[in-house]
Parts: sequence; C-alpha cells; structure tokens
Amino acid sequence: MCDVQLRPRLVATSGAVRHLVVGLGLGLLALFTFAAVIIVAALTPFGVGLPAIPPLTVWARTLTSWQRRRVATRLGVPLPTRHRPLDGPLTRQVRSALSDPATYRDIAWLGVYGVIGTAGGYVAVALPLFAVNAFTVPLWWWAVPEPSLLGYPIDSWPAAFSGIAVGLGYTLLAVVLLDPLAAATARLSHVLLRPPKRVRLAAVSAARAAALEAHERELKRIERDLHDETQNRLVAVLMNLGMLERSLAEAPEPARRLAARAHDAASDALTHLRQVVRTIHPPVLTERGLDGAIAALAAGSPVPCTLTVEPFPRLPAAVETAAYFAVAEALTNLAKHSGATRAQVRLRAEADLLVAEVEDDGYGGARARPGGGLAGVDRRVAAFSGRTLLISPPGGPTVLRVELPCGL
Amino acid sequence: MRVVIAEDDALLREGLVMLLTSEGITVEAAVDNAGDLLEAIGGSAPDAVVVDVRLPPDFRDEGLKAAVEARRRRPGLPVLVLSSYVEDSTAAELLHDGVGGVGYLLKQRVGKVGEFIDALRRVADGGTVIDPEVIAQLLVRRRSSDPLHNLTPREREVLGLMAEGHANAGIAQRLVLSDGAVNKHIRNIFDKLGLPPSENGHRRVLAVLAYLKA
Repeated sequence: MCDVQLRPRLVATSGAVRHLVVGLGLGLLALFTFAAVIIVAALTPFGVGLPAIPPLTVWARTLTSWQRRRVATRLGVPLPTRHRPLDGPLTRQVRSALSDPATYRDIAWLGVYGVIGTAGGYVAVALPLFAVNAFTVPLWWWAVPEPSLLGYPIDSWPAAFSGIAVGLGYTLLAVVLLDPLAAATARLSHVLLRPPKRVRLAAVSAARAAALEAHERELKRIERDLHDETQNRLVAVLMNLGMLERSLAEAPEPARRLAARAHDAASDALTHLRQVVRTIHPPVLTERGLDGAIAALAAGSPVPCTLTVEPFPRLPAAVETAAYFAVAEALTNLAKHSGATRAQVRLRAEADLLVAEVEDDGYGGARARPGGGLAGVDRRVAAFSGRTLLISPPGGPTVLRVELPCGL
Repeated sequence: MRVVIAEDDALLREGLVMLLTSEGITVEAAVDNAGDLLEAIGGSAPDAVVVDVRLPPDFRDEGLKAAVEARRRRPGLPVLVLSSYVEDSTAAELLHDGVGGVGYLLKQRVGKVGEFIDALRRVADGGTVIDPEVIAQLLVRRRSSDPLHNLTPREREVLGLMAEGHANAGIAQRLVLSDGAVNKHIRNIFDKLGLPPSENGHRRVLAVLAYLKA
C-alpha cells in the first residue's frame, strides 16, 4: 500500500525537479534581463538607451513565451498572449513597445521570476544532491580529512551509517516539497503573465454566448426533426393503419381488433411525442416568438388578462422557454386558486434582466408548494441564474416576478 | 367532392391523396407551397381545401396565412387546416371572419379515416370542425368559480362535442344517446351557462367557443 502511494509521488517529484531545474536556467536569464531593463531605463533619459529598447523587448517576449508554454503544459491551462507588433522606424517601435501593457507585465515577471525561479531551481538541485551526499557517507568518510554532515563530525562507522537516515530525510523533504513548489512557481507565473481580467471576462462571455447559440440551434433542430419530421412519419403510419382498418371492415373480428390496437398504439406514441417536444421547446415559441406566445397565454386565460410588453432584447431559446413556462404556470395557478377577477402580465427589460410579472387581484396568501408547478418553474429559472419571487400577502394582490438575465 | 391539398412533406401528401381518392374524393391539385395553393384555387373553386399550417419557405405559419387569404378571396371557401400541434389562438384566427366552413385539426387525426372524411365533409358543407384537443385546453383553463363546474360529466361531454363542431346527430351517435336525450342535455347546458339557446351549426359553435374563451 505504501508502494502505491509512493510511485506516483516519485514520478511527480521527478517531473517537478525537471520543471524547477529548467526554471533555474530561465530564472537566471530573467534576472540578467531584468538587470538589463533597469540599466536601459536608467540610460533612456539621457537618450542613450533608446535603440536597445526594441531588441530588449523582443528578448523579454521570447523568455516569457517560453515560460508561458511551460506553465500551460504544467497547469493544463492555456495561456494566450497578445503583443503589439514592433515594426517600422525606431521611434515607432519604441512607442509600440512602451505603450503595450503586455511589456510591463513581462518586466514584472522578469523581476519576480528572476528571484523565485532561481531560488526554486536551487532548491530542486540542492535537495537531491544533499540526499546523495548523505546516503554515500559510508563510502567516502574515511577518505576525507574532516568529514561532517549537518555540522556534526563523522568519526565512526555508526555515525557514518546515520548518514543514511539523513539521506532519507532529504529524500522525504524533496518528495514532499518539490512538486508543490513547482506548481506554486507555475501558478505565480500564470498570474503575472495572463491577460487582464477584462479580456478574460470577454473571452468567457463570448464562449458562453456561443454555447447558448449552439443550444438554441439544437433546440430548434430537435423541434424540427423530432417534432415535424418524426410526427409526419408517424402520421403516415397512422394513415396506412386507418386505411387498413377500413379495408378490414369485412374481415374477421381478430384482424380488425389487431389493426385497431396498432392504430391506438401509434396514436399514443404521437401524442406522447407532442407532449415531450412541448416541454423541451414549445412550438408556439418558434412560431410566434416570446411576446406572441405569452400573448396567446394571456388571451387564453380564463381570468381576464391584460398584457403589457416593453421592448426586450433577443433571448436564447432556452431562456425564452423558461420565461414562457413561468407565465403559463402563474396563469394556471391564478385561475385555479386565486379567486381573482383580473390579471396583468407585464414583460419588460430592466437593466440586463428580462422581467416577467404576473399580478392578480385575488385573495392572496399563495405559497409555493414543494414539488409543485412553481417549484419546477423556479428550477428552470435558477438554471439560468435567474430569480423567482412570489409576493402574496393575505388579502392580495399577488405578484409572481421572474427575473432572467438576458445579457451574457 | 373536389379537393385541393397543400402539404410539403411528400410522404404525407401522397398518403393524403391516396386516402382521399380511396374514399371517392377527387384531388384536383396537390401542392407543396402557399403560392401554388392560392393559384390552384384561383381557377375553379374546389369544394374544400386541406392545408398544413407550416409550409415553405419559413415553416412558421405560411399555410395558415394562405388559408385566411384564400377565404378572403373566396369568402366561405371551406378550408381544413392541419397542424402538428394545436393552440386555441390559431383556432380563433381561423374563426375570426365569422363565416362557417372552417376546420382545424391535428395532423394525426387523418389516421382515423372515417372521422377525417366526416370532418372534411362537414367543413365542405359549411360546418365547423375544431380539434378536441383545442377544446380540452379551453375546458381545462377554467376559474374555480366558473359555472362550467356545475355541469354533469355527461353535459361536459356534450358541450365539448358541440364546441368541436358536431351537429346534434353526430353527438347522439358518438355518445350513443337518443336525439331527444341530446337535445335535453343541450338545453340544460345553455341554461346552466346562462347562454341564449342557439340553433345548430356554425353560430352555435361560435357561441360556445366565445363562452369558453371568455
């Protein structure tokens, strides 16, 4: 059992050692480059350092792009970068280099990593060497003038063999320390070299928008293929079964009964298909859009219902479905339980939220039952980071308010 | 009877043609888009039109719009609209002009050949046919204080069939009742709901639907 845990740790440690040792080299280069940056910066007011800026910037970019690749491999997270190109006459190059925020991120990294990378690399080299040194004490202590280990003189064989214990101690330290150390230096570089938050958030938003659009296309495709095409196929089956039933009118009873049963089974399948598709994406939403679909709900409400719609931006299909079902559920509950004589449905945008409100003048005191329709609505809405609010004081009026983010 | 069909799914279109022909109905034209449909009725008016709500190019409601347009050009032209799903708002649109000869059915109803042909003939005769599922939707969405709750289950059945557009004879046949019993139920229904008695046919359907939608 000890073995199972040890092997992966040893593998990880050797990987860490490699990473840190390379980091040592890179750290030393970074340190020297940082020094060069300081010197050039000091000389620039005197006009001397200017021609050095472009090549120095390019060199710094080379170093940081090595490190970015290493960090991306180690952490498994891509680390994109965008640098302003340097071209044209010297003055334009200098201006590009100095106005690029990436340049200053690179310089900060040079300074920090110059120290940390070097130090980490030193530890990664030192620990194994110390361990080897300690393990091999029995082999050489007798040949060396004043052998000592950890400050204690080695003057006897037992003392020599204690070196093995010390060696084990160093090894243990290496195994425990080096992998986390490598991860920490990698993460430090990641934080220093990654693009600013604004750019990262924009990338996340774009990815999310793309995902939602893909989802919407899928929903519409499901509706088209599953609903229309599959339904048409089943209707064709039904037609043929129907005609079969007619032609069997003179046939014996068992045959007629079988045909009738087949017909009922196909018919049930079709009804079920329709219901399933409706819960995924109601066809009325595709045909009339969200405002049209909610208008249909309001028009169909047994309690007289007025609808007020203010412009709202286009929403992903799944969000529209959530809003539609919320209003549908609210109106159903209203008709069944509220004793209202009038209802209002309001649909509008507030900041970056789509707000749907259903208000009635009934006797209030409504509560959402666990497992009931409103709980289902809340789940759908919450899936989009939206909110459901039910305000229903005894005596009324009752308002169900659903907020759904329409910004991405 | 001469009928024009508008359905874009080839399998379904051919199936409808075969079904109607096997029942002795002549299919004058079977088209797959709204434009061709309007052209087909431009010549001699058919006895009835069967049209799918969704037609190319957008597959939203071209068929429905074409049906409404066709009835604008030829008022009272019997039109039977087939749809993958039914919503009562679409039914309302079809009934809007107040003229009979309108049908709105789920596509899957064509499977029950006898009933489908019956519905087609009723529409061609100027009657009204509304899919039972539309009526079911209307019957479900009732207020707790609605007088509808005072109807007996049998009366609710009769009300539903009236809303679907069946004549008294048809209701009697479906529920296996005598004509007299049906009449009695209908009188009770109109009393309980506080509706003025209405004669048979399209006006009655409109009155019942108006009540259910109110």
